[in-house]
Amino acid sequence: MTSSKKNRRFAQLPLAAAALFAMSGVGPAQAEVPARFYWKTLTGGSAVPLIVESISGNANPFDPSRLVSNDANFDATLAIAGYAETFSLLDRSAMAAILLPMGRISGEARAVNGASVSQSASGFGDPMLELNVNLIGPKPQNNIPDAMRYQPGFSLDLLADIAVPIGEYDNKQTLNLGQNRWYGRIGAPMTMQLGAWVPGRRTTLELLPAAWIFGDNTDFVGRKLKTDPLFQLDAHLTRDFAENIWGSLDASWYKGGKATIDGVEGSKRNDVTLGLTLGYKINDNLNLTAGYRSTVNDSAPDKMRMDSFMITFVFGWHPLIEGSRRLKQE
Amino acid sequence: MKTAALSLIAATLAAVFPVAATAQTPEPAQGKRPNIVVILGDDLGYADLGAFGSEIKTPNIDALAREGMRFTNFYTHATSSPTRATLLTGIDTHRNGLGNMDEWTAPNQRGADGYEGYLKLGIPTLPQLLKDAGYHTYMVGKWHLGKSPELIPRARGFERDFSLLDGAGSYWDMTNFTAAAPQSVFTEDGRYLNKLPDDYYATKTYTDKMISFIDANRADGKPFFAYVAHQAPHDPFHLPKEWRNRHVGEYDKGWDAVRQARLKRQIELGILPAGTELSERMWFVPDPVVLAPASRAILGKKMELYAGMVENLDHHVGRLVDHLKKIGEYDNTIFVVFGDNGAEGTDLFKMIAGSPGSRDFLFGAINWSQTHPNAWGDPGSYVGYGPMWAQVSMTPFSQYKSWTAEGGIRNALIVSGPPVKRMKGSINHGVLHVADIMPTMLEVAGASYPKADQDKKTPALMGKSWVPLLAGKTESPRTEQDYLAWEIFGNRAVRQGEWKIRWQYKPFGSESWELYNLASDPAERKNLAAANPDKLKAMTSLWESYARENNVILPSRSVFETLEDQLPKRVSDDKGYPPLIYKQQFVPPKDMVAEPAP
Repeated sequence: MTSSKKNRRFAQLPLAAAALFAMSGVGPAQAEVPARFYWKTLTGGSAVPLIVESISGNANPFDPSRLVSNDANFDATLAIAGYAETFSLLDRSAMAAILLPMGRISGEARAVNGASVSQSASGFGDPMLELNVNLIGPKPQNNIPDAMRYQPGFSLDLLADIAVPIGEYDNKQTLNLGQNRWYGRIGAPMTMQLGAWVPGRRTTLELLPAAWIFGDNTDFVGRKLKTDPLFQLDAHLTRDFAENIWGSLDASWYKGGKATIDGVEGSKRNDVTLGLTLGYKINDNLNLTAGYRSTVNDSAPDKMRMDSFMITFVFGWHPLIEGSRRLKQE
Repeated sequence: MKTAALSLIAATLAAVFPVAATAQTPEPAQGKRPNIVVILGDDLGYADLGAFGSEIKTPNIDALAREGMRFTNFYTHATSSPTRATLLTGIDTHRNGLGNMDEWTAPNQRGADGYEGYLKLGIPTLPQLLKDAGYHTYMVGKWHLGKSPELIPRARGFERDFSLLDGAGSYWDMTNFTAAAPQSVFTEDGRYLNKLPDDYYATKTYTDKMISFIDANRADGKPFFAYVAHQAPHDPFHLPKEWRNRHVGEYDKGWDAVRQARLKRQIELGILPAGTELSERMWFVPDPVVLAPASRAILGKKMELYAGMVENLDHHVGRLVDHLKKIGEYDNTIFVVFGDNGAEGTDLFKMIAGSPGSRDFLFGAINWSQTHPNAWGDPGSYVGYGPMWAQVSMTPFSQYKSWTAEGGIRNALIVSGPPVKRMKGSINHGVLHVADIMPTMLEVAGASYPKADQDKKTPALMGKSWVPLLAGKTESPRTEQDYLAWEIFGNRAVRQGEWKIRWQYKPFGSESWELYNLASDPAERKNLAAANPDKLKAMTSLWESYARENNVILPSRSVFETLEDQLPKRVSDDKGYPPLIYKQQFVPPKDMVAEPAP
């Protein structure tokens, strides 16, 4: 069976329409972090990231799988709050985080019987646990001298995410924040330093190849939803404009993630997103980014169509830095 | 004997018929006269070479030391241009125009003979006399002896040159330090450059140029005098990336530990006698033991850069040496290697651009503000290493550049080549002076110095030839009665035999004469003035003679006149004081440790 035939067949099935909410246009919402997110800092530090997105498109940004409704149109306001700790694991830089998505989504969708219906959902999504450990690159920054001498050169990490299916879920509708299944990701964030590592002059190429793996949702409006693994490749070319401000050209490519609902196969995803990000270091604690991204070549009805504005705040602190500041009475 | 006789005849002829001698100086019958290569490090410290006890890796310069001799009691002046002027003229700095540095001429010195701030016209120079004697004369690097056309290297005897006329500047481009004089001035073969060569890096380019000068004239078979006046390792510590990270973390242990290690090696090498003490750690420099690791790391990184500067300098010295070996000139070349004054402990950049709101601060903000440690070494960065590391560079001596303490004026000297007849690698403790180089090289080259004339435009040479010393005929060019004297910025000193007096501005000095016995106290820890009034009187009498004979005009203003108001009150560096900050955690006996009673 060819892909197009499968697609047509899929679209003709009433139940298949239920899958229309299946995915974010830009990428799994929980995976949406800006460039420079995996840069290493002093171990023993803490951070609270807050990521806010306004998303429009034809898929559900709370669902990391990738199914598209030809004629759906959703608007979502999404926030991800989290908490992260940096530490040294087997003498490598490591970061553990918990990310909790929340927000609301609404729009016109086709229900399981094929009728166009308005649906909405709000609340908390599935929290995600994340562990990132550097494999290749400089030793962890265990103290300020280490931090002072740190330059990433070429750094490669191992990233593991797992989402816990405790988010809000209503098995009577297709649009949900929780996904009612386990899913996770294995990735390898890479940072390549291009040139000097001097604030104001830093340039990096950052890549994140990753594979998403999904469990089954056995109660997807009474049906069983299976999703094949989804390949993700994010790329960022970042450059400092001055010491405290930087920009990034962003691209993402998602491929695979074919969904099957009660044995009926959908199509594989193959979409590309381009975007821009500006980052600004407000002070030693607070970093801000603002970005926009949109799918490209997305005019065909079955293509992913999604765009988003994203603002992130990351507030970080370290006892040593905070204590020094208190002593200096800053 | 035959050589000496020929030299004497040649010298006599040259003195009587200087013009004729210029054109007709024949090559000595026994073969080609030796080439002369003077390698000058700028602010290079006494203890910065491996051959003088450093952990910095200087294999090429050390090889010259192994082939030749090391000298442990060699003196320069306390700052750059006076040393250079004396090196190239062989006469006292107060008579050759550098009675004070051009940058610090005091109001009462303006217009005075000897205080021109540049190398006075009419005074014979070493390159001119060597050129007249049939040598090719080449110069690369820092000049610092005048910028106008009649003062530049080409006008003072160098046939070929590639010169930085300023006292310092960027190693990467023409950027200088002040808004009033924002560009360094360079000359090449007597022409002022409007840009620098592609791929310019000072130490590398100077070496490339010198090699090209030597090669260009090889065919005529004449010997050459090569004055390689490197800018390195003077701040700012600019150096290529691949040279910046050769000592990462090595200096985090702090300056005291490095000074102790260097002194230990100096004693093992025979540079200094057993029992030599380190000089005081400057009272305003903290004990590194009490500093946070971050502070030690950031300060240590400055020394890492400095070590890279010295190693890069050594690398390029090695390139020149290798080239001379390759073209068959090495064995017939005298090498003289030394630093121009003590290591630099003063923050020059702060002195220039340290006042926010000033014109030079703004200039620095635009041109010299690459302050991030990862930018250190890049264009636009300005890193010096401060008094703590300058003291390391001058181990075991007291203080540093600009001061007449031993740390300001004593330097490491290496001489190798044909005149050295002593055992290879030997060490000599005779008292030598930079002014000796002129008569030494004239003697080696079979050239002569014009007779002093009536109007004193051609003063008598003050130095003494090292040729007998190098040949093993004497242990010092000076007797116990000979003396040396110094004055710069109002700081002054006299050395005679093992004794030294010095007068320095407070708080580095006491603004009175201090007396030290350098044989027993090279670190100048014990002021013996009160205990030896007769010696003090005799030495100050030498000073007065020196000042009178050389027209020393003590400055009415000095760079150090307000230093006492800027620094903390001077206290002694008693080890472990106060105990409060050194006491370790008390650990009770294990068998006496108990849980609190309920």
